[in-house]
Amino acid sequence: MTSLEVTDLSVTIGSTPILKNLSITLGAGSFTAILGPSGCGKTTLLRTIAGLIPPSAGTIRFGKQLVSVSSLVLPPHKRKIGYVPQEGGLFPHLSVGENIGFALNKSDLTKDQRRIIVAEMLELIGLTKFIDRSPHELSGGQQTRVALARALAIEPKIVLLDEPFSALDAQLRNELREEVSLLLKRRATTAIMVTHDREEALVSADIVALMRDGEIVQYGSPAEVYLQPLTAEVAISTGDALLLPATRGKNGILHPLHAQYSKTRSSQEKSEQGSIVIRPEEIKISMKKESSAIASLITRLDYYGHDAMVELNLEKSDFLGAIRVRIPGPVHCSVGDRVFISHVGPIRFFPE
Amino acid sequence: MPSLDIAAESRIEAAPMKKTSLLHRGSLALTALLLALAGIPFFYLFQRASGASGSEISALLFREKTLSIFFNTFSLIFLVSLGAVLIGAGFATLLYAVKITRSALFLLLATLPLAIPSYVFTYSWIAIFPWFRGIWAAALVLTFSTMPYIFLATYAALRRVDLVQIEVARSLGFNRLEVFTKIVLPQIRGAIGASLLLVILYVLSDFGAVSLLGVDTFTRTIQNLYKASFDRQSAAILGLILMFIAATIILIEERVHKKNIASNSSVRVQSSASLITKPMAKLASLSLIVIYSFLALALPAYVLTTRMIANFQEIDYPALASATFNTLLVSTFGAIIAIAFALPLSWTIIATRSRFALFTEKVVLITHALPGVVLGLSLVAFGSKISWLYQSVGLLSFAYALLFLAKAVGNTRASMEKIPPILKEVSLTLGVSPLSTFRKITLPLAAPGIWVGFLLVLLTAMKELPATLMLRPTGFETLAVEIWSASTLSQFNQAAPYAFTLIALAAIPTFILSRPDRIQQESNHVEKERWRE
Amino acid sequence: MLKRSIIPVLAFALLASAGCSPNTGGNTEDSLENVSELTIYSGRSEAFIAPFFAEFEAESGIKLNIRYGDSAELAAQILEEGSNSPADLFLSQDAGALGAVAEANLLIELPGDLTSTLPARFLSPTDQWVGITGRARVFAYNPEQVSQLPKSFQDFTRSEYKGRFGIAPTNSSFQAFITALRDNIGEVKAERWLRGIVANSPRYYEKNSMIVEAIDKGDIDLGLTNHYYIFEVAKALGRDISVKDGFFAQGDLGNMINVSGAGVLASSKKASAANSLISFLLRRDTQEKFVANTKEYSLLEGVAGPEGLPDLEQIGAPTVDLDALKDLKWTQDLLIKVGLL
Repeated sequence: MTSLEVTDLSVTIGSTPILKNLSITLGAGSFTAILGPSGCGKTTLLRTIAGLIPPSAGTIRFGKQLVSVSSLVLPPHKRKIGYVPQEGGLFPHLSVGENIGFALNKSDLTKDQRRIIVAEMLELIGLTKFIDRSPHELSGGQQTRVALARALAIEPKIVLLDEPFSALDAQLRNELREEVSLLLKRRATTAIMVTHDREEALVSADIVALMRDGEIVQYGSPAEVYLQPLTAEVAISTGDALLLPATRGKNGILHPLHAQYSKTRSSQEKSEQGSIVIRPEEIKISMKKESSAIASLITRLDYYGHDAMVELNLEKSDFLGAIRVRIPGPVHCSVGDRVFISHVGPIRFFPE
Repeated sequence: MPSLDIAAESRIEAAPMKKTSLLHRGSLALTALLLALAGIPFFYLFQRASGASGSEISALLFREKTLSIFFNTFSLIFLVSLGAVLIGAGFATLLYAVKITRSALFLLLATLPLAIPSYVFTYSWIAIFPWFRGIWAAALVLTFSTMPYIFLATYAALRRVDLVQIEVARSLGFNRLEVFTKIVLPQIRGAIGASLLLVILYVLSDFGAVSLLGVDTFTRTIQNLYKASFDRQSAAILGLILMFIAATIILIEERVHKKNIASNSSVRVQSSASLITKPMAKLASLSLIVIYSFLALALPAYVLTTRMIANFQEIDYPALASATFNTLLVSTFGAIIAIAFALPLSWTIIATRSRFALFTEKVVLITHALPGVVLGLSLVAFGSKISWLYQSVGLLSFAYALLFLAKAVGNTRASMEKIPPILKEVSLTLGVSPLSTFRKITLPLAAPGIWVGFLLVLLTAMKELPATLMLRPTGFETLAVEIWSASTLSQFNQAAPYAFTLIALAAIPTFILSRPDRIQQESNHVEKERWRE
Repeated sequence: MLKRSIIPVLAFALLASAGCSPNTGGNTEDSLENVSELTIYSGRSEAFIAPFFAEFEAESGIKLNIRYGDSAELAAQILEEGSNSPADLFLSQDAGALGAVAEANLLIELPGDLTSTLPARFLSPTDQWVGITGRARVFAYNPEQVSQLPKSFQDFTRSEYKGRFGIAPTNSSFQAFITALRDNIGEVKAERWLRGIVANSPRYYEKNSMIVEAIDKGDIDLGLTNHYYIFEVAKALGRDISVKDGFFAQGDLGNMINVSGAGVLASSKKASAANSLISFLLRRDTQEKFVANTKEYSLLEGVAGPEGLPDLEQIGAPTVDLDALKDLKWTQDLLIKVGLL
């Protein structure tokens, strides 16, 4: 169990700055997901922590140990890191067992001790009988599991997972990510996973760090970042979100789902322009007219089985954009129906 | 691991990253050593040529003969390139296009000429056809003996062409020829180009065939100048010109090479797609290969066998045995040393892309074009100052390594470049040192290419003559030397057993080389790995 | 880990140090009893000289390490080696290579008991080398094809031989002849003759023996060569050949006698043992064996010539300064100028 502290880290590749004064602290034994679009620098961050890319400035600390200060860097093989790259990166010329035992050869372990560790790890990932298989004989999910076992076998201070599930199909991905986060929890290993899949980040990790253009824009528990996004962008990147124009003034926040929106908008003085973010599940749809609900017309309906995504146009409103709402199944409405919607939940206003 | 406090920051300073690893420093040092050693022949040439006055140089260069040397050399390069590419790439394509069950046999037939030294080839032809002389004859012999390089490289590249592409192209209405020129050819051009460079450099350096067939190329003229004069100056001047020609060709190849698209699809899809299906066309393709192997193989085999039978009682078995042992010994050491230098050089090129490393690689390529006598004499001049080294098996092996390193570097580097970097990075992060990572990841994964390089050096070193004559330990006779010492046509009977043994010996690495299925099995896995990335 | 990757390098170093470098003994005692080995650079081919070396080994108990090679290439090698040469004795096919090595002061002055056995014309003027055997320049020809035999080497520029003869311009025996030509008739005439030869469309061969073979096969009718190649080729082919040696008129330069010879390296620490080998080679019984086996001429007075050929005195050889043969620079330049090199 080691904490990780990254302070003012900058990485420049060629002349392009990839990471800009990035700071983040992760508690010992925590599982952090770094969530961001491709190209935001999250893999670079991971590789810099691993020691594979030299930073141009900043420090990295594993617990009390300083592993990187400005351009003086501890080489990767002295960091005791478990790195699980995309696709697993299994050594094709070695069997599953040899892959897991790969880094154990150099330590002072006896042959028997090594064999026991490999067997333990195989049991942990449930692939005991695959010990003599070649990597190319394994499925994608099995490869990822072996890669994780290989990383865990050296009892690393920190495990780094680079989009570990990206190549897997949806169902396998769900299964495996649960399995992996459980595994990491059980061993109380500090772990960082890089992903562009927001669901993956929210489900697996204790802490989600949102990254954009080489900077961490917010980090906290999944609930925190989902429910209390610091910016509209964060809100969008952690889940489906409805971004609506809004103004804040002496009458409070006015937005298209506010019953008084069209009437009072123009009279709002000294108002501050901005937008609000509403999660689709925070919008209630009703077939009957209720007070403060707004009449709308269903223009599109995507049916997913367990729920559905409905696209609505507000009637009698200055807001002409489409509003997307998630409604739980069973679904009793169809395109062309008139429904009434209202917002229940916190208003998150982001000034321009 | 000792923990590194802020107080101990100076300790990181003592070991700044990246350049710290033993592997890195070791590779750089070995590459630098290689550059220094490979520089010896060039240093020697400059030193010998530097004494020449302007009028001497102009007397040597501005004469009709120079024109004919240039003409002969470049005609030969052109003819051999054309012939070797047509036959080599042609056969590879035929074998690729014709799906047959016993392809191993045909692969071997097309590769086997590698085992025959060009001078043995030439003797055999002269023995049967006394009129066999001149540039066309030399072009023929050199085409035969260099064609397998193109063949092997093309065949290996073809095996990486995704057959699905062919099926797709066929389904889009392309005919077979169009499929070849538009889909297949662009993907194998790089491989042909790289192997063609080696062929051209070899043609520049060949002495055996051109001297027996009376074609005055640069190398033959240089050798004759050494024989004729003891001041070695004129030969050195021509040697420098040869060096510049080789450098120019290497730079041209580099330009062309950059334009070629390397095939990055590496998964070989099993498919029954076959470009040539008609039985008659199939038969015709295969008979072409048989006719070729008759000319290239059966003819020398016939001559050697009859000569050997004629001389059967007189075979000096102890001498034959010791020459065989010596040949094996020194060529094996040569190949080992070549690989020992090829590995750090390839590593340095891939890891640093530094000018220094790339320059060293070019020097190694140019060395390949140098006549053996130039390298031999330069190592005599250098080696004789160190009595324990001079005329030792070690120095001779080293000469082989230097002369043929180009053959090892290409394959070693290519196979190391194919390894996905992530594998090495994973190994490092797991706490395995760079040197161990090199040993446990890079070496085994690059093994097929390293092995090919080893075999090629081994094979070529076995046949080498001019440098062997100068650098071998006194009394240490190799098969090539024995063939040379009885090399007039009338004495060919005595040479036949040695020639026969040499060919048989060289046929072993050739046989292994002709089985790309075996060699590439492992590398396919690596490629699959890369492809999935 | 480190160990594995440096094994080849170590192996190289070990090999090199264990290598068979001959001068490691450090034997500075220059007396016959202490010498157990001699290193010979032999420009004479193994097939002909090896039996003589073997006989010497048996007689003297000295083991000979023999390096066979081309005379000129060995001379070039010795010149490169300079004072570091591991060789004790240089045995050359012709006087020119010896002269070049002598001129670089790499040969010692031989003792009088060796030099006194031979007529002065077969010696280095500075006593740095001695001739061992004589080899006559001749024209080889097919008696059935050539009715009008040439009387002089000059005749080869005549049109009746156009395209019918072969020369070996890269061979040292031919080049020695050109050098002698310059020494005797002057640069202008020598060049004129050589240009005449080139204009007369000769066939070019790498080696003298190839000329004889070509005559035997009927490719050409005559060729400029040395006298013993007809025996060599006949022996190798195991049959009689239809090629004969022809001598030019008495005193014609075409009949010049070149020698194979030997010199002792200045860097050798075993000069007296090397001298004893030369003395063995010059012994009358050895010389007779040369005549019988290699069909060369003995340089000793009173030893008969090879069977079927006239004695050395009867050839009508011109007087040629063998020491002048070392100056190949001009010859080479001329050969380059006329395009033969």
